[in-house]
Amino acid sequence: MRLEVIFKILGVVLLFNAAFLFIALVIAYNNQESSLIPLLFTTLICIIFGLFPMVFSGKHEALSFAEGITVVVSGWVITCVIGMLPYLMWGGEFNLIDAWFESVSGYTTTGSTILNDIEALPKSLLFWRSATHWIGGVGIIIFVLLILPHARNARITLLNTEMSELSKSNFHYKARTTIQILIVVYVGLTLIETLLLKLAGMNWFDGINHAFATIATGGFSTKNSSIAYFENVWVEVIIMVFMLLSGIHFGLIFGTITGSRHNIFRSKVVRSYVMIMFLGIILVALKLFINDFYTWSESLRFASFQVISVGTTTGFATVDTAIWPVFTQMVIIYFTIQCAMTGSTSGGLKFDRVYLFIKSVKKQIQLIKHPAGVFAIKMENRTISDSLERQTMLFVVLYVFTFFITTLLLTTMDIDLTTAFSASIATLGNVGPGFGNVSSMGNFDGLPNLAKFILSLNMLLGRLEIYSVIALFTIRK
Amino acid sequence: MAFKLKTKLLAGFMLLVSLLIVAGSVSILEFMKLSTSFTTILENNYKSIEASKTMLEALEREDSGILLLLLGEWEEGRTILRESDKLFMKAYTVAKNNITEENEAELIADIESKYLQYKEKWARPIVDTFKEGNIDWYQNNAHQEFIQLKKTINQLMTINQESLYEEATILRDNGHRAVMPGIISLIGAIVFSLLLNFYLNQQFISPVKELTKAIKRFNPGDYQVHSKNKSKDEIFQLEVEINDMLKRIARKNDTR
Repeated sequence: MRLEVIFKILGVVLLFNAAFLFIALVIAYNNQESSLIPLLFTTLICIIFGLFPMVFSGKHEALSFAEGITVVVSGWVITCVIGMLPYLMWGGEFNLIDAWFESVSGYTTTGSTILNDIEALPKSLLFWRSATHWIGGVGIIIFVLLILPHARNARITLLNTEMSELSKSNFHYKARTTIQILIVVYVGLTLIETLLLKLAGMNWFDGINHAFATIATGGFSTKNSSIAYFENVWVEVIIMVFMLLSGIHFGLIFGTITGSRHNIFRSKVVRSYVMIMFLGIILVALKLFINDFYTWSESLRFASFQVISVGTTTGFATVDTAIWPVFTQMVIIYFTIQCAMTGSTSGGLKFDRVYLFIKSVKKQIQLIKHPAGVFAIKMENRTISDSLERQTMLFVVLYVFTFFITTLLLTTMDIDLTTAFSASIATLGNVGPGFGNVSSMGNFDGLPNLAKFILSLNMLLGRLEIYSVIALFTIRK
Repeated sequence: MAFKLKTKLLAGFMLLVSLLIVAGSVSILEFMKLSTSFTTILENNYKSIEASKTMLEALEREDSGILLLLLGEWEEGRTILRESDKLFMKAYTVAKNNITEENEAELIADIESKYLQYKEKWARPIVDTFKEGNIDWYQNNAHQEFIQLKKTINQLMTINQESLYEEATILRDNGHRAVMPGIISLIGAIVFSLLLNFYLNQQFISPVKELTKAIKRFNPGDYQVHSKNKSKDEIFQLEVEINDMLKRIARKNDTR
């Protein structure tokens, strides 16, 4: 493994972070905030460690698979380490483990927080929190691939490592074009949402921060009471629409805009995804209305927002779902497990895998009936290979196993079952809020430090889709 | 971009030095802020809190003095009142000369006017008048003034205590911000040294070893040394020069 090549790409990762740190630094300077020095120092560290490998490394064309895996996994870890420095140096509610948790939660677009008073943070740090979402949303490696010079072969390897086989299914382009489409859709959605939020009554600062968190399906807000603070139906509607869009495969969004036949309206997976979400909203709204929680219109409004927020792994809130009936909580937990589509910015198990899993179960039943039969699974008019099917089934098993182990570990620390269960699944799925002590209006501050660390690893595992991490520790060459 | 070994080494050390300079500067700056916060806490708030406490103590003594007068203990009561008044005025002057918080000036003015009203109650004769032994007079006049004045002094103490708490929080944060760059730089310098060591090994030691191996492998008939060094730096130049030298030797041998 050529470490100098890995260091060089990681250097670019750091420089990319430095660009966003610099914007936060300008905000801190303009407002004369106490976060000025922590941000300045972190920016300098990023620049120093980012430039240094470039002095020593020359041009490198290709990357091996092992090098690609190492770049992707270590890229995420290093980014999270750098991301925690402004919090750690600033102090306030942050100690070492809390700063790490907040940073990992930001980059992996989980949106879980340890902060009791978000509004006590300087504007520059609030921006940095949202920026970590935006950098991590589409994947920092994707951004790096766009700016990485002389790296056609490296680009292909890294793209294959960063994006799962299913994610690439709706991209019918070369590696560079795929990356460009991802970025264009990502930036485009962010700009449009910012503008709409401004028109709906938010100020520019809140608009940009909430657009960053929505499109990245993150969930960090600049307010303690999240979206509930704004008490604005239009803001909620805009955020709901963009959360839903951000949970759909970006290749299909691009196809819809450009008039390609691979578009949202022709996609069976999108149709099923939206239908299930619609069903979830209706079930939750009905239960809330029947139990006299709210009026019918309020029930529909709150149910829509919470189901879409959790179902797309965003994690924004307009109400505290911890006080809702158990049935509604179970529906929301289902969406916490299911998550949104592959090829989007959402994390977790992904709806496509659930879809493929159900189809695979159907296929196995048919095989029991007709042992000699040959049955193929089709998704979006594409035949799914046996290896991809096996890979997906194994992923589902690994996902459930990881979630079970994490819950088990949390319960050893005397954390109640609801909190342990929902915190594990919410962090592994990069959703953010759970139930119990970590509900939509609560935070993770009350958990023991070890629990926070385990949950932060969960977030990274969820974002890297488990396989990459296993591959890193198993590939020798 | 191909850098010379000298440039690479210089760049490495310059970056390390700049990291340490920035960390040092940040720590110095934060420690300076720390010293300002200490001054603020000690000079602004602590003095006023102590003055408030003294005023309250003096007031309590004055109250005892009034009660002694009510009991007909003229001499003892007067002595206590005189001494307490001196103590109160001394503390009041300290508080008046140390106005640092918002609304503090208004509170000081309020204390002054209320104290004068209170003083008026006990400055006039009590012993051998209708006031002596008159507990109703005490309850409705002197004691009421005493309670009101205590409340105002307590308010003065509270705003200074709140400010002290805020300053202490700033002090804690500044202390944290002064120490953290040092710790992070230390870890950064260790990581940087490891990285530098890796590059030194890769760019200097390995190529020299490679060249040594290539020279050892040198076959007199070949007149060519081949190493795996791909960098265009001084070591590569050395390899080129060795090969040139071998060619010149070969040409000289051929002409013999």
